[in-house]
Formats: sequence, C-alpha cells, structure tokens
Amino acid sequence: MIVRVPYHESACSMTANATDATGERLILQSGIPQLSRIPPWIEHLAAKHSIPDNTQFAIDLCLEEVLSNVMRYGYSGELDRPIVVLFTNPRDNFFVFVIEDEAPPFNPLEARELPVLRSLDELRVGGNGIRLLREFAQSLEYQATPTGNRLIIGFAAAD
Amino acid sequence: MAISTEELAGGITKVVLEGRLDIEGAAAVDLRMNVIAGSKKAVLLDLRNVSFLGSMGLRSLVAPARAIRGRGGKMVIFGPNELVEKVLKTSGIDALIPIHHELDSAMAALQ
Repeated sequence: MIVRVPYHESACSMTANATDATGERLILQSGIPQLSRIPPWIEHLAAKHSIPDNTQFAIDLCLEEVLSNVMRYGYSGELDRPIVVLFTNPRDNFFVFVIEDEAPPFNPLEARELPVLRSLDELRVGGNGIRLLREFAQSLEYQATPTGNRLIIGFAAAD
Repeated sequence: MAISTEELAGGITKVVLEGRLDIEGAAAVDLRMNVIAGSKKAVLLDLRNVSFLGSMGLRSLVAPARAIRGRGGKMVIFGPNELVEKVLKTSGIDALIPIHHELDSAMAALQ
C-alpha cells in the first residue's frame, strides 16, 4: 500500500544549508561507481537506528533502483552532477529517504508500470523498477522542485 | 560477488553465486555468466548465498537464461532467500526461470 507521509520542505534542499535534527545526508555525484557508497551508508544507518535486516534490504533495493535511474536516464550518463540523499527517522519504526536531483522533471510514479515478463524473449528488466519500488516501499511521493526532482520514499520496520 | 561452477551428474552445471548481486556484483559476474550461457545447456543457479538482488542483478540472470533457452537448454534457480525470492517474483522472473528450494527437484527439472 502506498501512503503519503508528512514531509517538510526545510528538511532537504540542494541549495539551502538546512539540516534536519535527526537527519543524515549523503551527497553523491552522478556516475555508477558512486553507487558503491550506498550499502555502507545504509549499514551505518541500520546500526545507528536499529533498522531490521528486511527493511535494510528494501532500502538498499529501492535506493539502487532510484539512484541508478537518475544517473543513467535523468542525467543521461553525464558525470559529476549532484544527487542528495537525506535520511530521516520521523517516528518510531519508520524511515524516510529523500532523493533530490537536478535532472529534467520526471515523475517516476506516473511512469507506466510494464506488465511482468511472460517470456524470456521480453528482456526489458529495467521496466521492473517502479514495480519493485511499490512492492518494497511503504510510501512514495514525488515533488517537482525549481531545479529538478524530489522523491520521498518511506519504509516501515519489518521483521 | 563470487562465482564458481561445479559439474553435477546428468550433464548439469551448478553455478554458485555468493554475495551481493547489485550493479557492482552484476558487473563482476556478467562475463563468466555469458560464457556459461554460451556453452552449457542445463544450468542450476545456486543463489543460497546471495544476500541481495537488485534490478541490475536481474538482468544478469535473465540474459543467460534466454541464451541457454535459445540453444535448447534450461536454467533453474535454487535456494534463494526470502527477500531475493520476493524480488524474483515481483519481477515475474520466477515464471521464466523456475525457483526450487530442494536440490532434487531442481535437478529433476533439468533432466
């Protein structure tokens, strides 16, 4: 089920210096090798905020999908463009990641969800991204920003 | 991500993957998987020690399965953990590459 969660504009901005009291921020440059920074950061957050293993898996999966899509399609493979990921823990057992980029506007939640593969001849694995997000995240929200895109993904703790 | 192979009875090749099958893991195994896909006809893909499967990792499974099938062969998946299996099922991959949790049934499916 996809639900909306409260999100405050001041919690994350690529141009402002605001930081959330409970938040942690990871700043990436576009380029696939940067994705290797995600798993250790998630492990760090999981240890610090007692995020269960199953939830950690879901976070890992969704961030890899979203960030790789921003890099490959949003920035069209262009290197050294900014992506900011903010983590907040707004309430017990709920974890929110805000991904901001400066790519052309694109709302992944409006993207057509391709039907599941029925044949090995239909090799278009990339079309699975939004389906995986909807299955593994508990909330998804998109906001267009003056400079790009903001995607807010929420995860509930799951044992 | 580590990859190793073992030849089993009946002409079956067991391919064992270990670690995270994310973008980096996929890059690490793709070449070897492609070689296997081009030379083997019955492949049992052992995922018992794969701790993570991302969408790029899915491609590393589907492309070889397609190549093997194109040569008249078959690939099955053996022993994914609960979350890896959920990724496979959400993507519909399980309908194309059957998932087995018992070695005997996985091998029987390849005979």
